[in-house]
Amino acid sequence: MNKRILIVDDSFYMRTMLKNMLTDAGYDVVGEAANGQQALEMAVATTPDLITLDVILPDNTGLDVLKGIRQQQPDAKVVMCSAVGQETIVNEAIENGALAYIVKPFSEERVLEIVGSALQGDSSLA
Amino acid sequence: MKSREQEYRELFMAEALEYYDAMSRHLSELERNPQDIAALNELFRLMHNLKANARAMGFVDMGEVAHKMETLFGQIRSQERAFTGALVTLTFRAVDVLGTMIRAVGSGQDSGEAKGLLDNLDLLIKGEEPVETQAAPTEEEVDSDAARKLELSDLVYIPVKKLDNLLNLVGELVIDRDRILTLAEELGHSALQATARHLFRISDDLQYSVMDVRLVGAGVLLNKFPRVVRDVAATENKQVELTLAGQDVQIDRNVLQLITDALLHIVRNAVSHGLEEPAARQAAGKPAAGQLSISALTERDDVLLQVQDDGRGIDTEAVRRKAVRKGLLSAEAAAQLDEQGVWALLFEPGFSMAEQITDISGRGVGLDVVKLAIDSLGGQLRVNSELGRGTTFTLVLPTSIAVKGALLIELEERAYAVPLLHTDTVLALANDQIFAVGGLLMTRVQDENVPIVPLRQLLYAEGDEQLPRATRADLPTDGGLHQVLIVSYNNRRLGLLIDRFLRQQNIVVKSLSKPLDTIDLFGALRYWATGSCAWCWTCRPLLVCSWPNVLDIGYFLPFFVLPC
Repeated sequence: MNKRILIVDDSFYMRTMLKNMLTDAGYDVVGEAANGQQALEMAVATTPDLITLDVILPDNTGLDVLKGIRQQQPDAKVVMCSAVGQETIVNEAIENGALAYIVKPFSEERVLEIVGSALQGDSSLA
Repeated sequence: MKSREQEYRELFMAEALEYYDAMSRHLSELERNPQDIAALNELFRLMHNLKANARAMGFVDMGEVAHKMETLFGQIRSQERAFTGALVTLTFRAVDVLGTMIRAVGSGQDSGEAKGLLDNLDLLIKGEEPVETQAAPTEEEVDSDAARKLELSDLVYIPVKKLDNLLNLVGELVIDRDRILTLAEELGHSALQATARHLFRISDDLQYSVMDVRLVGAGVLLNKFPRVVRDVAATENKQVELTLAGQDVQIDRNVLQLITDALLHIVRNAVSHGLEEPAARQAAGKPAAGQLSISALTERDDVLLQVQDDGRGIDTEAVRRKAVRKGLLSAEAAAQLDEQGVWALLFEPGFSMAEQITDISGRGVGLDVVKLAIDSLGGQLRVNSELGRGTTFTLVLPTSIAVKGALLIELEERAYAVPLLHTDTVLALANDQIFAVGGLLMTRVQDENVPIVPLRQLLYAEGDEQLPRATRADLPTDGGLHQVLIVSYNNRRLGLLIDRFLRQQNIVVKSLSKPLDTIDLFGALRYWATGSCAWCWTCRPLLVCSWPNVLDIGYFLPFFVLPC
């Protein structure tokens, strides 16, 4: 059974790139959410093994979404995605249970490495 | 054919142009009302996204401009500065430059405007006044500025369901088109004929355009297999080196969807039963890791998906023994089958019901189901194997499901369509070229004895009713030549005695809708050949709607597939 991943990013381009990287590596991308509301709904509907979550979203900040998801599913594995310059938010996200963060622009190897170890339950920050 | 880079570039551009439009809008809102927090937040988010995407694409200058703009909007948001004065002018200017840069991605030109702008943005961020370096825009620039405000994205995203509906409508249109064309010919009205011919051409174009829209790269499916193979290999303690090829080969999205399970089945089988354990492979002088390749290639109008392993191959003797044991055929008949004939046995329903036995690579499990899925698309499943050297399964699939080439034949004034995929040859045979052997009519086709059955007997037989023993007396006695269509299925050939051949035509195939889909119009036709050999034919009736006289005759014609 392939690991199931939900992608949350407000950029279609970014989602497509992430989806291709993850799909090529054999993961099942079970959903793509473009805003916080969708992200929360899809997290409940699809119960993914892992969620990649952009820190800046149109309706909520990624941080609120993270809190919302962790409230619904305390065991949810979440990896934050962010461009440089958002270190404060990222740190707060980690405090709120995010397992790791991927810095945009990302390389395929880096994404797969972080996703892989997050799925095994390791925090790349530990 | 689009490479992934091209696809990314198009996605990037489409989205960036949307961002550009939104930025221009929010900037105007912010100018009107500097306290508009929503507009400010959006500007910040859009710059942030554009920065990340541009950097991912390697557009350094664009990424830099967006980055500095994001910083500026961040400062405004945290009330470090107000949106007034030189800041307003420069942000408008910067958004325009970004727009030019985004469009330059498509044209491949470097806008060359970034340097002065970046310096000025740096000054602003540091709280200093920008230097006026920009000349007043030329008239040409003003013109293009005005024009591009109206630009929309070149890409739209369409749910498959809408495409299905479109294809369905085109199918209906093609049916009416053929009907109008026939009517025009019948009426002999020249202006109507000319219009009908024009209608024919444009609807043909339309049909192919719609089919083209539905094409996706085979990689969409193939790229899922590295993980599947890895998992199966791990479970089975096998070592497998997987090679993928032809990910860019274009195929209808629904065809791909329909064969997903079949391909999965074949690949799993190849790993768990085709490839040997590492030790066994080394003992046989092979590398410990089994080689498995899944490739897509185009052959005329078809797409071929091949799954090739270098495993133990299929033991034809074991297959023969098992088929005899299962009562599929007599030992004598089995002994006479050539390799292709033996492999075809693997796809027999009776064969695959068997327990999984590894001495024949366990290939029998569920292969009939795989074959059925491929048949339903009008495709073919071929197998080739060499004992000890490996096995290749080839799925021959139509590029699109909409249209099939068919041979129209006539029997008792009704038309039937037989897919070209299953037609082998057409023959006009004299009486002395047909002979009766053991209650069966036969003829020689390329040094092979092929049984001949009057199509009317097949069509009108009831359920499992046995066909009567045939003699030459059953042949029509009008003294003319007998029209015989040789059809082939699963490496077997059968001659059908028909009234006449009509023509070759592309047909639109539609499945029967409820409740008709449960009626097996022809039932399972079975005819016992010589008592020693039992062959099963079943015919699945489908509707052929594009044949012009369908509506005249007033009933639907059975689409004749042997057997499926």
